[in-house]
This record gives sequence, C-alpha cells and structure tokens, in this order.
Amino acid sequence: MEEKYRIAVIGSGPAGLSAAARAAQRGLSHVLLEAEPHLSNTIFRYQKGKFVMAEPGILPLRSPVSFAAGKREQILDIWNRESIALKVNLRARSEVAAVSGERGGFSIKLADQSVVQAEFVVLAIGLQGNIRKLGCPGEDCEVAQYQLDDPDEYNGEAIVVVGAGDAAIENALALADRNRVTIVNRRDEFDRAKAANNAAILKAIEDGRIQCFYNSGPRRVEHLPGKRPRGLLVLNTERGEVQVACDRVIARLGATPPRKFVESCGVKFPSADPTSLPAVSATYESNVPGLHIIGALAGFPLIKQAMNQGYEVVEYIQGDKVEPADEPLLRQKFAAMAGFTSVDSALALIQQRVPVLAPLTRLQLREFLLDSDLRTPAFGEVIFRRNDYTDSFYSIVGGEVAIELDPEKPSNAITLGAGEFFGEMSLISGRRRSGTVRAGHRCILIETPRRSMNKLIHSVAAVKRVVDEAFLRRAIQASVAPEHPPQAVEPLIGSATVQTFKPGEALFREGDPGDSLHLIRKGSVTVSRQIDDREIVLAYVPAGQYVGEMALISNLPRSATVTAAVAVETIRIDGTAFKKVLETEPHVRARFEANYRDRLARNVAALQEPSHGSLIRFLMSQGVGEATDVLLIDESLCVRCDHCEKACADTHGGLSRLDREAGPTFQNLHVPTSCRHCEHPHCMKDCPPDAIKRAPNGEVFISDACIGCGNCQRNCPYGVIQMGVQEDKRPSLWRWLLFGGREPGAPDEAHHHHGDTPKKAAKCDMCKDQAGGPACVRACPTGAALRASPEDFLRVARGE
Amino acid sequence: MARTQTDQSLRIAHESFLVHAGFRYLKVALLLSVAAIAAYIWHDPPGGPNGGTWLGYTLGTIGALQIAWLAWLGRRKRTYRSSIGTVRGWTSAHVYLGLSLALIATLHCAFHFGWNIHTLAYALTLAVIISGIYGVIAYARYPSLITGNRSQATREGWLADLDDINDRSIKLADTLGPDVHRVILASIDRIRIGGGVREILFGTREPERKAFEKVQAQLGETTQFMATQVRPRAEPSVSPDQMQSTVSFMAGRLAGGVDAGEQAQKLLDLLARRRDLTTRINRDIRLQALMQVWLYVHVPLTFALLAALVAHIVSVFIYW
Repeated sequence: MEEKYRIAVIGSGPAGLSAAARAAQRGLSHVLLEAEPHLSNTIFRYQKGKFVMAEPGILPLRSPVSFAAGKREQILDIWNRESIALKVNLRARSEVAAVSGERGGFSIKLADQSVVQAEFVVLAIGLQGNIRKLGCPGEDCEVAQYQLDDPDEYNGEAIVVVGAGDAAIENALALADRNRVTIVNRRDEFDRAKAANNAAILKAIEDGRIQCFYNSGPRRVEHLPGKRPRGLLVLNTERGEVQVACDRVIARLGATPPRKFVESCGVKFPSADPTSLPAVSATYESNVPGLHIIGALAGFPLIKQAMNQGYEVVEYIQGDKVEPADEPLLRQKFAAMAGFTSVDSALALIQQRVPVLAPLTRLQLREFLLDSDLRTPAFGEVIFRRNDYTDSFYSIVGGEVAIELDPEKPSNAITLGAGEFFGEMSLISGRRRSGTVRAGHRCILIETPRRSMNKLIHSVAAVKRVVDEAFLRRAIQASVAPEHPPQAVEPLIGSATVQTFKPGEALFREGDPGDSLHLIRKGSVTVSRQIDDREIVLAYVPAGQYVGEMALISNLPRSATVTAAVAVETIRIDGTAFKKVLETEPHVRARFEANYRDRLARNVAALQEPSHGSLIRFLMSQGVGEATDVLLIDESLCVRCDHCEKACADTHGGLSRLDREAGPTFQNLHVPTSCRHCEHPHCMKDCPPDAIKRAPNGEVFISDACIGCGNCQRNCPYGVIQMGVQEDKRPSLWRWLLFGGREPGAPDEAHHHHGDTPKKAAKCDMCKDQAGGPACVRACPTGAALRASPEDFLRVARGE
Repeated sequence: MARTQTDQSLRIAHESFLVHAGFRYLKVALLLSVAAIAAYIWHDPPGGPNGGTWLGYTLGTIGALQIAWLAWLGRRKRTYRSSIGTVRGWTSAHVYLGLSLALIATLHCAFHFGWNIHTLAYALTLAVIISGIYGVIAYARYPSLITGNRSQATREGWLADLDDINDRSIKLADTLGPDVHRVILASIDRIRIGGGVREILFGTREPERKAFEKVQAQLGETTQFMATQVRPRAEPSVSPDQMQSTVSFMAGRLAGGVDAGEQAQKLLDLLARRRDLTTRINRDIRLQALMQVWLYVHVPLTFALLAALVAHIVSVFIYW
C-alpha cells in the first residue's frame, strides 16, 4: 500500500527536523524519512558529552523545536521529546534510494522497496553522506557494526575490521591490545592512510599482532546465536573463499558523498568541484520544481540557519510569505546606503549595478551580503595597502577607486568604476596585496570575506568565469608588460589557459622543448636539474612569478625541471604568442632578457652549492612551499630550554601552540610543529562559523566564533591545531620564584579538567595582539628561534 | 623591482646571542672596561688605590648595579609578555657585561684580598663568572652534539621504540625456549636509563663483570668465542654493557646452532637495535646534563653572591 503526503522531508537533522516539526505544527500531512534508527545522525555520532554551539549569536532562531548551545545529550533529548510532543511523523530506518517526479507528484522509493508519494519534497540530508556498508548479505545483522565508540569496551573477542583507511587502521590497532584482530583490505596496500598509520599497521601485521587479508572482500556475514564466536565472516580472497569465525565485524569504509544521490533526483550542481553545492531559489527550491533543499546541502552548515530554513521552507511550500530571519540584519547593513528604502530594492540595485553578482539567485545574494560588509569609505581612504595579507574581495556598487600598482609612481594609478571588482589576486593566489587601493568619490563597496567568495566561485560557474578572466588579464599585464596599455598583451590573453598541478607533478622537464611560459597563480614550484643521477634543486619560485621564459628567450630546450611543491595553478601562456610580443615590444624583451641573465647566473651559483638545494628540498617537503611565515629553529643554537613553548603558553591562556621537539631536522635546521600560516590555509577549508581569518600582516587566527567542531584540527596537515580550554589566570612569577608551584608557561592541567567549559580550537596567531612580535622568538635566549617568510630566505634565483 | 644580483645564498638568518646586533654589547663592555682601566691608571690617590677612594666607590657602585642587573635576567626571561628588548639581546648583554664585571670588581678591590666578607663577595663574583663562561662554552658545544645524536628522533619516540623492542624480543624469545626467555627478561630488567648524577655526567660504569661472567659460565666456550667477535663492534665507551652480555649470549646460541637460525638472528638484530637505542638515550641524557649542569652552580652562587654583596655593602657603611 502506498502512502501519500503533502510534504516528505528527507533527513532528520536540524533542518529536516525543524521542517517536519513546522509541518506537524501546521497540521499538514507529512513524513520525516530518516535512514538511521534515531534522529539527527550527525549530531548523534558526536562523541559523548560534546558541547554543541549555537553560532552565529546574532541570528534569531525561528523553529517549533528549541535549540540552544549545550551538550549533545541535552540537545538530542530535547529534540526527541519535542518531536514526539508535536506529533512529528518520523519514519526511522527508512533510507531513501531514489526520488522521482515533480511538484505535486513525487515518488520516493525506499531501500526496502516501499514507495512514499508526496506533493513536495524537502531534501535536508546534509553533507556527511551515508555510511558505506559491507555490501553483502548479512550487512545489517547483529555481528556487523559501522562505528566504534570505545575500543576498551571489547575484551578477548575475535574481531574483524574491514577497511584500509585511517579509521579502520586506528580501530584495528586500538582493539589489538585486548582482542584477536583481523583486518580485511580490498587492495594490497594501506597507502591511502596517513604515513604513521600505514607504518603502524604494517608493523602490527609483521609482528603477528594483527592478521591481514589483502585483496579480499566480504561475501557474507552470518550471526550464529549461541555459538562462540557468535558470528562468521566469509571472505572472497585471492585463494578463494575463506571463513573467519568472529564475534564482530567492524566495517570502516567511509561514507558516500551525497552528490550522486542528489543528482539522481534531477538536481544540477553548478560545477564539478567537490565543494560545489546545488543552487536554490529564495524559497529554497532547486531546479526540480517542488523539490526544496535546505541545510548544509544548500550551503548553510550552521544548526541555527538550518533550523530557520526548515521553518521557512514549509511556509513557502504553503504559499505563505515569510520575512527571512536575516531580513533585519540586512536592513541594518543597507541603512548606510544613500536612498535606502527596502531590502528587496537594495538587492535589486546591487544586482543591476554589479555584473559579477548578477547570476546569483536571490538566496545566494542574501547569504553573500549577510557575510559581506557594505562600506562607504571617505574620499582618499585606503581600502588596503600593497603587501597587506588580507584576502577579501571587493565589488564596487557606486563611485570609484584608484589602484596604485607601483609605489614609486602613485600617479600611474588605475581607476575602477561602479560594477567592477578588485582584490581577486590575493583571493586566488593567497599572497600579499599587489597594490594599494584608495577610495574615490562617493564610493560604495561590498567587502566579501574569502570563504563566502570562494563558496560563490565554486557554486556559480558564471562568477568563476568572470573572476578567472579578470585575474588572467590583470596578472598577465602586471607581470609581462606593466608599462603598456592592456592592448599590448591581448594576444597573450587569448592563448592563455589555467592549468593545475598536483604536488610533485612536473610543469615541464629538463630537455623538453620550450613551448610555453607559466605564470604561477597559486602555490609554489621548485626548479631543479639532474646532475650525475642526482637531482639538484636550484630555486624555489612562489606564486606571482613566472617560470619557463628561459627556453623561450634562448630558443633552447628546457634547461631545468620545474616541479609543483604544493598544489599549483598556473596561467600557461603559449610560447609562439609570447615570442611575438617579444618581437614587437622592445621594452618587454629587454626586461625579460635582463631577468634571463640574472636567473642564469643564479642557477650557476646554486649549482656550486648543492647543499642549499638539499635544504630547499627539505623545507619544501615540510610544507614551506605553501607557508607565509614559518618557525625555524637552529639546533646548533638551541639549548632546549623550551622557553619558546613556555612563552607561547604564558601569552595564550596556558595553552602552547607549538611543540619544539616534534618535527624533522635537517643539518641543524629544525622545523618544529608550529603553524606556517599557509597561503591557502587548510584549516579554513571547512570551518562552519567561518571563525578562521587572516589578518593584514598574514596571521591566520581563530576568532571567538569557534564552535569547537575540530574540523580545522583534522584538516591541518601539519598537526599544529589543538582543542583545549584557555584559562584566564596566569601563575605568578614571583610566587614561583619564591615558593615554587606552577611555573609561568608550564603545561597546565586545566584543559584536561575543564569541566563543562567547551574545548575550542587553538592555534598560533603570531602574537598579533602583542607588542614586539611572536613571543616564542622574543623569549629565545640564544637566537635559535626565528620566524620568517620563505621569500625572505629562499632567495636563490628568484626572477624579480 | 630588481633585487641585488649578488644575493645568491640561502639566508636563514639565525643570529646567535654572541653576535647579537653586531656585537653591540661586546662593544659596550669593552668601552666600559677600557674606561675603567684608564681611570684606574690615571687615578693616583694617596695611600694607593683601594675600594674606599672615590674611584673605588664609583667602580663598586657600577659593579653592584651590574650584579643586580645581571641577576635580573632570570626574571626578564620568564616575563614572556615583556617587550623590553628581546631575551636574546638581554642574554648577549648579560654575557659581555658579565665578563666585564670581573675587571670592574678587580679594579674596585684594587687587589686587596683578605679573609673577610669583602673578598668572599669578590670570590663569589668570579665563581659565578667562571661558571657562566663554562655555560657559554657548553651552549656553543652541546646543542649540535645533541642534534647529531638524536638523528631526527624524539625522546618520547625512543622510549616507545624501546618498549616495543622489549615486547617483541620477549615474544621472539618465547619461541626459542625458556632459558632464552629468562635471559632476555633479565636483560630487560637490567636496562638502565639515566642513573645517578655521576653516571649521567660521566657515562656509565665499566661493564658489570658479574653479570657477564654469569652468562659466560652458563654457556661455555662458544659464547666466549662469539663474544670476542661481537664485542669489538660495539662502541665501548658509551654502551651500557649489560646489553652486551645478552648479545653475546644470543650470538652463542646462534653459533652453537641451538635454535632455529632465523628467529635467533631476528632476536639478535633486535638486541643490537636496542643497544643502539639505549646508548643514544643515555648519551642524550648525558649531553643535555652537560649542557645544563652549570646552571646548578651559576644560579645558587648568584644568590649567594647577592647575599654576600648586601653584607659587603652594609658592613662597609657600618664601619665607614
């Protein structure tokens, strides 16, 4: 028998629950479909006692279900009680397999083959995806599980762990102390895992602590009640079927990103980028009529936003107009605009004035402006300065700005008018501002933070195209022919393409024909030569500069190999077009030839000192290629007093953000575990409250908006972020000197016994709020600690 | 935008406290010393130079202020929020002005010595300065040695490795019979990390003959033969030699063909690694100790000096 509802909500997280609750409150026929046996699986899976925050504080909550910052258990408990009280029609254990149809006639097929009919569908499945199951008979039986909360719960059992990723390895190793553990790997290596995990699992297998089946997969799982062990896992291995008796099978196979499923419903994604999200209208409707998307999947990862949308979407479906929760906030923002009447008219005006924002849906624009600041600088006011590290993006709504690219000739400023934008260079390259921008007359600007702009670029293809093209044009002109009008470089722009390279991938190799010039727009590269079977690194070239011009000027094959040190994006300019410009523009030719001689001389010098090359290579392998400022310790001066760590702790609430001893050393040069303030900070990648910011001097810091989710800690490849509690009280130096007790800066136990205070992320902020620069460097008694930008010390053969 | 073309080297500009700011404080200290010597030579008081002349008092005041300021480094370097110079600058000044203090103090007392509080203060001053000179030498010498000995590892990592090797060798020993198990277990008990002050500073003692002889007696000639073969390969000065006897024991088993060769070889390799590890750990502890030990003299003597200095000044004013 088929069920039919007005609204079917898929996913019972904050967004879906709130939508279903609103539907229940309004007495609409509805169903809330949840794959798991409980509400809100993402929060359910948080560790016990985890503190859930309610950012952003300024946004009011509008939902029949209540929510305030608190512990995971309290929140889940409240939601359970309130959803029952509101008579939400929850259908748990109902994984949706397919959605088809349109407004008025959706047909939702569940994994158990039953079908639910609905007039409207609200998709609120978030971004976590469904956990991959074993994919064989018995995958849901009692023996199989897909999560491991506490390895210490199991003792003396026979356990099979299926999977080869970090989670599987960490589980297997943790269980191996007290259980007989077998690990099943579909392939013959564990190389997807982190290096440390890979080494640890191989060693455990070699020592016989863990048994391993390589190139094997599960065939079926059986629960054998009353037997010991109580289960059986049958494997397909290279040598045929193998039966493994076991008490439990723990599968850690990751999760399927929801994209494929969403696409199968007919929803379109604007780009192939994995961070791209489907576009929705102001009423959260997707390109499929009647199918609404809310919450993280629509680009709103915060709980409160998602819950508000759950409420609003039901109102919209019922045809009721509702003032969006952010309306008062936007009204406040626009109040500074001359002639402001209503939010709607202001939005329309902005879209009409600024072409780059024209392709946005109203909802995207609202979100974009909510994150942005509307600025009305006075005439002559500096918007940003050359060499600042800020990374926001500016659109000009009215008036004009002047951009000074050459500090020595401020009169040569370029003027940009309404509808144009600037600041995209630093946004894309992650590097310092290339010019100083001053406000002109009656200037109205929208300043958008990096994350919101990147989100937009990844979700609206048209925006990406416009921004990319402007970058291309401006970058080529700035680096090839700054003294010429834009027409001079027009032929180059036509031939230019954006290319991406993975870390370690070669842009070109020694001996290749020279057919192009690469302008590095993101990341950095190393230049190296092969001498007697040894690769000698000659130079490091950061973003904003070019490589590959030498072969074009000399008409010889490539004299060196250029390799991406980190993920790199370049603008590839065709060699023939470039040579033509060289022929017609003597200025350009002269400058490139001077650079050529300079680079040649530096390369020769670098070859004479191969140890420098090894040092550059070492530093690159430590991620210095994407750093803007890195702490280096000269171990021949370091007396291991740890005053650097103590200074860090003492100036940062007792929580040191640096581990002096950890980290590799090369020829007395030690790279401790400490933040490098990356050009494109990995920590910023997935910060729900957008709490990680970059200050004008380049410091990447975490603001008070942190919700303690730990994403940045997981995303940082250098392990420099930790979760902890800062204390306000500092131990007294005199008391310690006279009576002993805790030394200022000594490790503090407070963050282990933090009681109910939630842990937040802590990282190096380069002591931006303190006089005198980084405390770790100031506190070093011998001069062993140094903070520097790679550009300052990797000056070999730089083509400037 | 062109940079200087001569700049071709990697510049990781670490600057030692000794060369801080182009030897600024060395220059200051030299200036002070030269001025003090000149004044001392020029000044010819009736009754010969002594601490009681106006120059004597001036030098004494300078010296006392220097002592007080030098001792203040202990506080400044822990005042992490302070931005009054960098600690490196302070250390630099501490070293050079501290050295000049030896001269100032000597000229202040004008070579008058006796068995009294005044000469005690002087002697303590010199003792503190001498321990400080050792400190500068230690700070120049040991950091590189420690890094070399570490070869990338951390002490925590070492101890984890050691635990792990012990675990694995016991498991391997289990497969080789009870006597091997017993010897390995005993050898684990005998591993010594650190030790007393004497051992830390001067290395571990001579091999414990008894333990070695016991193993020998038990295993007979084969061991002795193998022991002579294996022993020279070890670094004799640094190894905790109890390890050695275990290696010899295993070598004996191997040579005697008692066990499955492969397992015994594995165990032998493990033991060799363990020996290397304990050697490194103990050397690390020793080097760190040698680098820091002077502070245990320098700091207490400084407090003693401050006390003696107060006594010296008070007594001078009382008996004026």
